[in-house]
Amino acid sequence: MNASFEEKSVWIQLGAMVLGLGTYFVIAVGMLAAGQRDMSAFAALFIVSVGAMILLMSVAYALVLFAGKPEGRDERDRLIAWKSEHRSSWIIAAGVLGAVSCMTLGVENVWTANLLLLSLMVSEVAGFVLQIVYYRRGV
Amino acid sequence: MATEPLTIHNRIRTLRFEAGEMTQQALADRVGVSRQTINAIEAARYSPSLEVAFRIARAFGKPLDEVFQCLPSPG
Repeated sequence: MNASFEEKSVWIQLGAMVLGLGTYFVIAVGMLAAGQRDMSAFAALFIVSVGAMILLMSVAYALVLFAGKPEGRDERDRLIAWKSEHRSSWIIAAGVLGAVSCMTLGVENVWTANLLLLSLMVSEVAGFVLQIVYYRRGV
Repeated sequence: MATEPLTIHNRIRTLRFEAGEMTQQALADRVGVSRQTINAIEAARYSPSLEVAFRIARAFGKPLDEVFQCLPSPG
């Protein structure tokens, strides 16, 4: 793969997040549909998902580092990271606003917590995808 | 305020050839950026900062305007 260490790092984080938190949401939707409302059940699932994400990232980073020495971050990497964050951070802001609205309307905490988590995941995934687009198509 | 759209062109590929087929990695090491960044600049997919532009020009021992040219965008 003709990519810098920083770009490979973005791919790793994107893959781990989609697999880890994606699995969380697939299971969580099933639990919600089955009437599960106990926050501790969702917290346990979340901890397992985050653990799996960390494990996946550790293995992927180890393989990338084994293949070659990282070059270090330069001005292009910093610009791409800043620009993608600037264009994706509104998603988490919308999620927080939605969560505040849910609390005001008395929606169950389990929905509010999952809405916050979903906005965090979508915001991060959008940021990673934008970074890859900027790396591939130019910034 | 309306401004004319400009495109930044560069002669990095030619200058690398003239410098004894200097590799992108060798230029990247001299400039202090990654090889992929040099590749992106060369392919006009990234416009470098003024500092990096000057570093590239210095690596070839040329003035800045012999490496980078700013031309009106076509159309």
